[in-house]
Amino acid sequence: MDFPNIRFDMIWEYKELFLHGLWVTLSLTALGYLGGIILGLILGMGKLSKRKWIFYPCKYYVDFFRGTPLLVQILLIHTALIPTIFGHSLGYFVSGVTALMLNCGAYNAEIIRAGIQSIEKGQMEAARSLGMPHSLAMKTIILPQAFRRMVPPLGNELIALLKDSSLVTVIAANDLLYAGKVVSGAYFRFWEPYITVAILYLLLTFICTKIIAYVENRFSNSYVPSSRRKIFSFGRSA
Amino acid sequence: MIKIEGLHKSFGELEVLKGIDYEINEKEIICVIGPSGSGKSTFLRCINMLEEITAGSVFIDGVKVNDPKTNINDIRKDVGMVFQQFNLFPHMKVLDNITVSPRKVKNMDAKEAEILARQLLEKVGLADKANAYPEQLSGGQMQRVAIARALAMKPRVMLFDEPTSALDPEMVKEVLDVMKQLAYEGMTMVVVTHEMGFAREMCDRVLFMDQGLLMEEGTPAQIFNHPNHERTKAFLSKVL
Repeated sequence: MDFPNIRFDMIWEYKELFLHGLWVTLSLTALGYLGGIILGLILGMGKLSKRKWIFYPCKYYVDFFRGTPLLVQILLIHTALIPTIFGHSLGYFVSGVTALMLNCGAYNAEIIRAGIQSIEKGQMEAARSLGMPHSLAMKTIILPQAFRRMVPPLGNELIALLKDSSLVTVIAANDLLYAGKVVSGAYFRFWEPYITVAILYLLLTFICTKIIAYVENRFSNSYVPSSRRKIFSFGRSA
Repeated sequence: MIKIEGLHKSFGELEVLKGIDYEINEKEIICVIGPSGSGKSTFLRCINMLEEITAGSVFIDGVKVNDPKTNINDIRKDVGMVFQQFNLFPHMKVLDNITVSPRKVKNMDAKEAEILARQLLEKVGLADKANAYPEQLSGGQMQRVAIARALAMKPRVMLFDEPTSALDPEMVKEVLDVMKQLAYEGMTMVVVTHEMGFAREMCDRVLFMDQGLLMEEGTPAQIFNHPNHERTKAFLSKVL
């Protein structure tokens, strides 16, 4: 095998393109994820509703966005949905964020639904028995507890979304992968640009992993702040 | 004060309550006893509508609880409940467990709620645990906090759903002592219990339930010493 003569100097030449791509990938992911959390919260609660006219739209939404490829959703939104509604394209960024958000929302909905359902029934009953309306009990009693259990799967979802955001390259979004494509097209060399792209994605996911680990650690097992944790104090106190 | 008329409750095909009529007066202490599966917990949970009522009605102070026009949250402010599994909120300190509903439901001022909570903790003998989290407490302490939490809404009736059944034997007494204190202060109480000693000593009326029916009711002396019904006799011979 003739091992290619690696030339990373050409990557350096395009460093601004890569930096811009990094920025676009990060903003697409961050905005898509944020929107996905809010959407997921609404859909997740909707899927817990006893009212059929709330439950079924939420269920079908989740089924659709989990059951079709993200790539198809991106193309559908960019080339069909947005031009139909607004009469013209709003640019790759709006389409990209919209697609990622709608897709992420569907996955988050399931995580949030499962998290809420994992809280013991007695918690809601105790809150309701104290006169709290359902929404207040959900907000002050159930969600704060459920959130802890949602952190690990929501973290996975963030990393998955970060990587999936590379699919927006198909609508000519100049994200990180797009930068790699441009450079490889310009030089007809493939090792350097794609290895660079891979390393940069790895770097981003690594940072995400660290953040998630920190959040998980903060909200681990016990509610007692660790400095004051005394494991059980039995017996009657004075 | 509480009037129960023809109360039926079914879970799907299973009929748990088969028509119960009873009236509870103010300041009365009612104990509900009976074998497992007799429907006594369901009966209690129908009073504050934690279970939807299939047929019949429950009135509290003349207000029909299971009327769609009744705001159930208003009713529940006056009806405290204590659960077998305590159901304290694990993410809140003891103090916040007690103040959360007065503050959020009754819009009580935070300072005022804290003063109230500390008084109630004093009353249940846990003044020093205000800043602990539930997981740092023993079962008996948790249940006493749960009682204080229910009292913080200044209820007119307290419902106890087997309050000592999940406790280690040595912790039963501390919870019963708090309940006795409440009884002396004139609280109206409905207690589902297996503590026959408490029923005999504290209750005004004892209800014996079996298979979804109110088999027999009377003063503790009547029920424990001269039960009329065969099933009551059979049950008491096993538990006493």
